Amino acid sequence: MRIEIRDLRHTYPTGEEALKGVSFTIEGVTPVAVVGQNGSGKTTLVKHFNRILSPTSGAVLIDGVETTKQSTAKWSKRVGYVFQNPDDQLFLNSVRKEFEFGPERVGVPAADIQKRLPEIAELCGLGDKLDSHTFDLTATQKKFCAIGSVMMMDPDVIIFDEPTCGQDVEGSRRLSEIIGHLEKRGKLCVTISHDMKFVAANFPRVVALCHGRVLIDGDSREVFAKPELLKKSFVSPPPISRVSLGMGFEKPAFSVDELVETMKARRRKMA
Amino acid sequence: MSVDTVIEVKNLSFRYAGERKQALKDLSFTVGRGEFLCIIGPNGAGKSSLCNALVGLIPSYFSGAKKGGVSVLGQDTEGTSVANLASKIGLVFQNPFNQISYTTSTVEEELAYGLCNIGAPRDEMRRRVKEIAETIRVGGLLRKNPLELSGGQIQRVAIGSTLIMRPSILVLDECTTQLDPLGSEEVFDIVKRLNKDGITVVMVDHDMERVARCADRVLVMNDGQLLAIDTPRAIFNGIFQSHGVDMPEYARFGAAMSGAGMYGGPALLTEREAINAGKAAIAV
Repeated sequence: MRIEIRDLRHTYPTGEEALKGVSFTIEGVTPVAVVGQNGSGKTTLVKHFNRILSPTSGAVLIDGVETTKQSTAKWSKRVGYVFQNPDDQLFLNSVRKEFEFGPERVGVPAADIQKRLPEIAELCGLGDKLDSHTFDLTATQKKFCAIGSVMMMDPDVIIFDEPTCGQDVEGSRRLSEIIGHLEKRGKLCVTISHDMKFVAANFPRVVALCHGRVLIDGDSREVFAKPELLKKSFVSPPPISRVSLGMGFEKPAFSVDELVETMKARRRKMA
Repeated sequence: MSVDTVIEVKNLSFRYAGERKQALKDLSFTVGRGEFLCIIGPNGAGKSSLCNALVGLIPSYFSGAKKGGVSVLGQDTEGTSVANLASKIGLVFQNPFNQISYTTSTVEEELAYGLCNIGAPRDEMRRRVKEIAETIRVGGLLRKNPLELSGGQIQRVAIGSTLIMRPSILVLDECTTQLDPLGSEEVFDIVKRLNKDGITVVMVDHDMERVARCADRVLVMNDGQLLAIDTPRAIFNGIFQSHGVDMPEYARFGAAMSGAGMYGGPALLTEREAINAGKAAIAV
């Protein structure tokens, strides 16, 4: 999988210039997080990946094909987009129907749909909710229903827009599991998030946007080692990273255990 | 009820009509005047139900089987109209779009909505709208349509439309969950300032680092029950990790250092405390 973004600019009809020349390439299936303050252009950027939006200038190429060469309906087989607000996406009267709708539309054989369904329902924690009305789901379950209905399309790329919003510990754990599952199955996951603990734990690569441009793009350890630069886009490294940097370590720690191990090593060296 | 108690919850249980599960199970606690109380717990723990009960929406709006009771400023919420309670205790919903009236075309009218409903005189409405607009920092937006505002702005307007009734207690149900970090800080700053000015705050929050930093006391809920209510330092000492409740990363760091024999002090609650304890541990 290769997504190439070439000097992408996007100006909305209101005259608002949301992207002012963005260039970077995603190669392979290592999960990528897109971060930055509201209005930095994150959602505008990822909506170009399946042509929900078309470039004002510049281009986005999916495996070498410009997105403008075919319709969003065609792209949605390969690039799935999960909306931030599940109420913008869900519209049928049961979880099962939501799950079946997408693949049915693009002509996936019924037998294949029925094969995918239980596995994805299980991953999304909705195994016992298939016949529930989507109105009767909790906010968390709705979010997972929206995620599951896009996974049912079995796209090569899946985009999550703020998946952790409103999730508790259990919801975040389930999301990590889904992201791991997608990578194992050779799927690329691109995620917009404001939750830096979640980003550090799940995304080896981070692209930070600021006012429609790339502020910094790289290995998450290197990105979170630059808190001063990230401040420009109101991004703050996860708490434990800030503690490790504040203690004088060069690389930010991504978990409590990791930091304690580093400290033990330091103490051994000094003893 | 002592002079300084503003909310008293006594053996409160509630089951929504048509549900089998108890949403609230025998809760008892009090909230003191000017206190900043945070409610934490996993989704489905009963946090929102408790908020609804504190402001009287349970049982006046949500019907069901209720036992025990809530008294606000000495008045039992059952039998007191929500309109009457609104001048004592105000609720800010998680989603501002569930709160705004959708019947007004400007922020100014939206803020005045509650006062209109109680028939306040026009000049008083003007004065209070102006005052509230300053408090919630939307002075420049009064002529705008509420639906044109950013997430942080509309949440501030929702808070303002509650505050305009001059409640002395503000209950906020995850009012920053849907906002980006900047919008979240904007809203939280206002809550903090209101509390400093003497308003009692009861807030449901998922941001554990913030809870640790700001709460006077923390109330932990799971499965409709009150597990504990105590200071952040007492709550975040590790006991509740197994109840689906997240711990602030600083507190987990302190606990992990203790486990490794590198720290023996109380629970760590802030970045500064964590850095200092960490530095001390590697300076040995």
